[in-house]
Amino acid sequence: MNRHEVRVADRPLRECNQAIRAGIESGQPVAVTDTRSRHNLGIGLPAGAEVHFDGSVGYYCGGLNNGAHITISRNAGWAAGEAMASGEITINGYAGMSLGASMRGGLIHVKGDAGPRCGVSMKGGDIIVEGKIGYLSGFMAHAGRIIALGGADEACADSLWGGEVWVAGPIESLGVDSKIAQPSDDEIEQIEDLLASRGLDNGSRSWQKIVSAQRLWHFESRDASAWLMI
Amino acid sequence: MCGIAGRILTEPGLVGADLVKLMHAQRHRGADSTGFALYGKPLESGYIVRAMTAKRQNLSADLEFFLDLLREHGSDFLSDPTHDEADSDHVSVRMEIREPTSLTDWVQQIDEYSDRIEVQSVGRALEIVKDLGGAAEVAEKHNVRDFIGTHGLGHARMATESDVSPTASHPFWARPFPDVAIVHNGQITDYFTWRARLERKGYRFMTENDSELLAVWISDRMSQGETQADALKRSLTEIDGCFTFLYSNHDRLGFAKDRWAIKPLVAVDSNNTLSIATEEQAVRTVHLDEVEVVNFDGPSLTQTWQTHSSLDRAA
Repeated sequence: MNRHEVRVADRPLRECNQAIRAGIESGQPVAVTDTRSRHNLGIGLPAGAEVHFDGSVGYYCGGLNNGAHITISRNAGWAAGEAMASGEITINGYAGMSLGASMRGGLIHVKGDAGPRCGVSMKGGDIIVEGKIGYLSGFMAHAGRIIALGGADEACADSLWGGEVWVAGPIESLGVDSKIAQPSDDEIEQIEDLLASRGLDNGSRSWQKIVSAQRLWHFESRDASAWLMI
Repeated sequence: MCGIAGRILTEPGLVGADLVKLMHAQRHRGADSTGFALYGKPLESGYIVRAMTAKRQNLSADLEFFLDLLREHGSDFLSDPTHDEADSDHVSVRMEIREPTSLTDWVQQIDEYSDRIEVQSVGRALEIVKDLGGAAEVAEKHNVRDFIGTHGLGHARMATESDVSPTASHPFWARPFPDVAIVHNGQITDYFTWRARLERKGYRFMTENDSELLAVWISDRMSQGETQADALKRSLTEIDGCFTFLYSNHDRLGFAKDRWAIKPLVAVDSNNTLSIATEEQAVRTVHLDEVEVVNFDGPSLTQTWQTHSSLDRAA
């Protein structure tokens, strides 16, 4: 199948993003090459678009995604998929800090590890990380699911407001106002089904499901010392 | 939000040109000023002084005054000073001087006249060049791209405290430690506590910039026998703030990143060379091909690297 190629290198960002749009409008899959970890590539892409980044990308790749299927062959910088509404982003390598920040829907699938604050402030959708999720992952998330197959770094699910963080593997420590809940068989089946749909079948995982302890829902300033990390 | 960078080469080369690339790619992180700490061929004796005079029309009088004070401290010019030919009021001057009897005493005395002539770096190899504007502008004015050296630092500043001036720009020299420079992205929140403690130990500061304090803080720990690596680790627990900084002297370049893990840093570390910067897209202007990039994304991190300066052999 033909594909529309867009070479980034040191071209102006707007020109690159317009070329990606033009490729999408031609109805072909788009291959973006020589990406050089540039920021803000492929923002606000529409449903039906298929865009492949051949290399590492910088900050905010696939941000505001509106239904596109995006793949990144190597690493992504900060906040890939920021505020996305729908669609899919697959990152083959490492995903930097604040992956899926404030996302509302859709799916992000990382094959490597994710950096700190993965899913920060997310409002919906799913993040699957095959490796480990970083420090403060799920920080202030309101809804949606973060699913980590390789464990979680310190302060996992810190200040979690709503939503769920699922971890198979060791959790270095839990953040404030989060707790481990016992998942039901149905819930585990849903998670395993989602993973199977991504080619990650495995019946032997041992899950810890982390949810909000809901004490910060009713914050009182006289309790402030309970929330200080220092 | 500032941008920082560092570069180590295996032998003397166009380190200035690489640092300009690294900083030009991060110009959006701070347009107030740009600066470079460059480590060139070390002098066998004496120091290179980089300084800024306030008024171009007073340049020769200020240099005469400077020389007079140098001589009082047993020093002298080793060659004629050179300076930029731009039309800015302030002038950047490069001097090579004989070692003063006491570097600390001389620096404390010349600093009393910093409104006329401000010493910006002293070292056998270190030269700090900093000015208002972006990387390309500063590089052009001060011939940074032609600088031959072994390693160096770069900084693009968005001022969040103190004024916008060459004085308040990075990198900072850790007076009075020769060849020590720092670039920093962040804020130190217990600045005044530490400043008072360091002043009681006799240290003096050119600015009220928290980054200058960090440079002296690390150097002070090292003067008490700590390694650079240990002093950087100690800074994570003893200094309060949100920071990522790069600290360099003639033989090692290192970084510290605080426990909140907010200020980014990435590196390409291969074949005894190093490119390190706030943003990956900056190191990718030096390494155009896909390359192994280390992301220092986590909290409470430090690392140091050996430079390839010939200073130890020359001294």
